[in-house]
Amino acid sequence: MSDWTLDELVVTALARAFDDDIRAFNGAVSFVPVTAFMLARATHAPGLTWVASSIAVDAHPESIPESTLSDALWGGATMYQSSAFDFWPYAQNGRLNAFCFRGAQIDARGNVNNTVIGSFDAPKIRLPGGGGMADLGCLCERVFLWSTTHDPRTFVERLDFRSGIGWGDGPDHRASLGLRGGPQLCVTNLAVLDFHPQSRRMRLCSVHPGVSVDEVVAATGFELVIEGEIPQTPEPTAEEVRLIRELDPTGARKREFA
Amino acid sequence: MSEGGKLVELADAATLVPHGSSIAVGGLSLNIAPMAFCRELVRAGVRDLELIAVVSGMSSDWLIGGGCVRRLIMGLTSFEGFGLAPLFRRAAETRAIEVEEYSEHTMICMLQAAAAGVPYMPTRAGLGTEVISLHPERTREMVDEHSGMRFVACAALRPDIAVIHAHEADVLGNVRMLPKMIWFDTEMVKAAKCVIVTAERIVDTDSFRAAPELTAFPGYAIDHVIHAPRGAWPTACWPEYPYDGDFYKAYQRAARDPEAFAALFAEHVGPLRPPGPGGER
Repeated sequence: MSDWTLDELVVTALARAFDDDIRAFNGAVSFVPVTAFMLARATHAPGLTWVASSIAVDAHPESIPESTLSDALWGGATMYQSSAFDFWPYAQNGRLNAFCFRGAQIDARGNVNNTVIGSFDAPKIRLPGGGGMADLGCLCERVFLWSTTHDPRTFVERLDFRSGIGWGDGPDHRASLGLRGGPQLCVTNLAVLDFHPQSRRMRLCSVHPGVSVDEVVAATGFELVIEGEIPQTPEPTAEEVRLIRELDPTGARKREFA
Repeated sequence: MSEGGKLVELADAATLVPHGSSIAVGGLSLNIAPMAFCRELVRAGVRDLELIAVVSGMSSDWLIGGGCVRRLIMGLTSFEGFGLAPLFRRAAETRAIEVEEYSEHTMICMLQAAAAGVPYMPTRAGLGTEVISLHPERTREMVDEHSGMRFVACAALRPDIAVIHAHEADVLGNVRMLPKMIWFDTEMVKAAKCVIVTAERIVDTDSFRAAPELTAFPGYAIDHVIHAPRGAWPTACWPEYPYDGDFYKAYQRAARDPEAFAALFAEHVGPLRPPGPGGER
């Protein structure tokens, strides 16, 4: 029997996509990416930069609180970026280059909705809002998506509202707007996906242990790109599991898997 | 200036905010929002506000619950790990309030344009999203005729009033944040016509002269100062007190039961009211 849980598999799969050139920052309700940034930094990407809450540069917190915009995440930082002027120009000029999104809805090109279900003016469900999604989807060269609810309600053909841009309407959309990069990867509770280099549509990379390709297809509301044999997502190592539990001792990451 | 200078009693806070004002409320998510001030607006029954809050939670939820808000101009409204802001959500879903959503950076740009006295501030943030197409009078895509570069023009947003919470202030309006973390507050202070600061402590001006490098806002930028100890509760006033997680949890639990919620709201905030137009005051 394996000694890891689904949240630890998802964190590990995301962390393994990060390298030393990641200069990341995080927004609200980002327990999984925050844990993944710290894990990557503690293992294969010691040069990774993480600005906690987009405020605390190179923070080394003792644990992760109920808010990923909270001071309890800022321990051990080398600087507090304490105003818009201290932070936004680095996201605009590319010195900071990576951000992770979740969305109530995600489409095949990695565009996301966190604004409303239904119409904007008469919403069926009013969601918290995009916050920095609209900004950082544009500005960041390396965008990563995660979801703990891989189902046809989340992974949809058409968003009810586009709060943040992924690859937009097609492969050339970002370039036509003058935007760098785009979404690289999407890690869910069922699978790891990336984006086909030509069509920029979501492509299945691996399925998690115990999950079949058919289950992922059935859980996705749009047509996935599937090429050849799909491998299994590598399990977390014992060392990765140990580190995750040490970096997030209260299990804040599990909040996203309710 | 008189001895009391710019000091106003917390109990008189609502007299600074006419019905129908546009008011920017500071803080960041669970951090340092001027909650005591918001409570006074609820208790006084201030109506018809255009509330500007970039990344907020409890402050917007209280003002909406008190029936103070006509329109919310926002980037993100939630309690983060403590869930969705329940009164905001209900008011938006029943269309009891108008909601205008922008992104964090486009809202910063709108406030910066107001401070600079220019019609709009350009940014690349928001391109290709629906956020910028909701209200063309506030945000719209444009093309620079010389470079051909696409950008979002964020029209100046000038609040009538901005209110922020700080650690220390003096009667002249000098303001200290300890540490100097000012996030969206700094844009709000510079953009608004009238600026109000609530502070944990009122201190001597000499203490500002002793450490001018710690001053966040100069006295000339501030119109009114209110002494409000624990004035950010239940949000955090770091490092002096953390957010009150137990209150957030109790608030969410009560939100499932209208009677229990009205009691909790009455005890900690004020009367729950539906939104509506303001009368004479």
